[in-house]
Amino acid sequence: MKRLSSIIGVVVTTALLSAGVAAAASLGIVSGKLSAGSATLSGCTSSALTTTRNVNNSGNVTQVNLTNVPQACAGQTVAVTLENSSHASLGSASTTVGTCTGGCAVSLTGFGTVSAANVTAWAVSITQ
Amino acid sequence: MHHFRITPLRLAAAVVVGSFAFAGIGYAASLGLLSKQLFVWNQTLTKGTCNQTSTTAFDTYVQQASPNSTSGGTATTLRIVPTAGSQEYSFIRFDLSGCNIPTTGGADSAALSVYVTTAGNSTVSLYPVYSTWSESTLNWNGLGGLTIGSTATTTFSGSTTGAKTVTVTADVDAAIKAGTLWGWELKATTGTAAVVLASSENATTSRRPSMTLSYEK
Repeated sequence: MKRLSSIIGVVVTTALLSAGVAAAASLGIVSGKLSAGSATLSGCTSSALTTTRNVNNSGNVTQVNLTNVPQACAGQTVAVTLENSSHASLGSASTTVGTCTGGCAVSLTGFGTVSAANVTAWAVSITQ
Repeated sequence: MHHFRITPLRLAAAVVVGSFAFAGIGYAASLGLLSKQLFVWNQTLTKGTCNQTSTTAFDTYVQQASPNSTSGGTATTLRIVPTAGSQEYSFIRFDLSGCNIPTTGGADSAALSVYVTTAGNSTVSLYPVYSTWSESTLNWNGLGGLTIGSTATTTFSGSTTGAKTVTVTADVDAAIKAGTLWGWELKATTGTAAVVLASSENATTSRRPSMTLSYEK
């Protein structure tokens, strides 16, 4: 009986330990990186997204403009990260997609002082 | 019948197990990711340079005293004169179409260089031009038809001869997005003396207007 009690204890312990890990895994973040498509919102996809950025006369990024953001994404949070050639973040900003008809236009500011010359990629994410 | 008893040791073990169980959830929460990711989209940018020379430069100057004159389009110099009643403004632009930069691209840096051949104690200011003009037809009377920015992008001193380089990144970036660079109007904003620059028709090639441009697309 004592042995059965120990076995049950081990099983319960394992189950409980797994619960936390499973919670993270369900969000696709066990690796610490985001994974695409961990949730769905019908029509909110990146298929036709267009991204541009503005600079000031010093060549620093002042604004990032997203167009053709699906209207299904309205109300969701969009984040843009400016990356260097090593895909390290140079700056990021986020805002909420407003309501619109057709493709939404979203502008983000507040990236800090980031030279456009150092930006070789950007990552856009939308979270619900 | 064996009765399960809660001993201090078992109670301590339960607390430890419970703590570990919530650690994973806490880990997720610490990353701010309890919200759901809808999608991630990445874009890699292409960098390039497309420096401009007199080959793609267009320039002229207009004269208040000769409001119909278009002679500045073929002159070897560009004049900037602040004298009331006889003011003269210069215009410089470059044709960036050969760079093949899409309107979704932008300038990382841009610097315009001109050469002062005759110095004058005046500050020359550059105002962005937003509408079309031709060096062969622009004259003083045509200024009213142009759309010109009210704020100077930059300035330089005309008080010494030699090369003058000014940063015009924001203007060129905006022009790339607009599809065409209509350049700048150069006029004296302080001082009283004429400043003369080498034009794109100047015999000395190295003195002609030029522009360095680094871009992304």
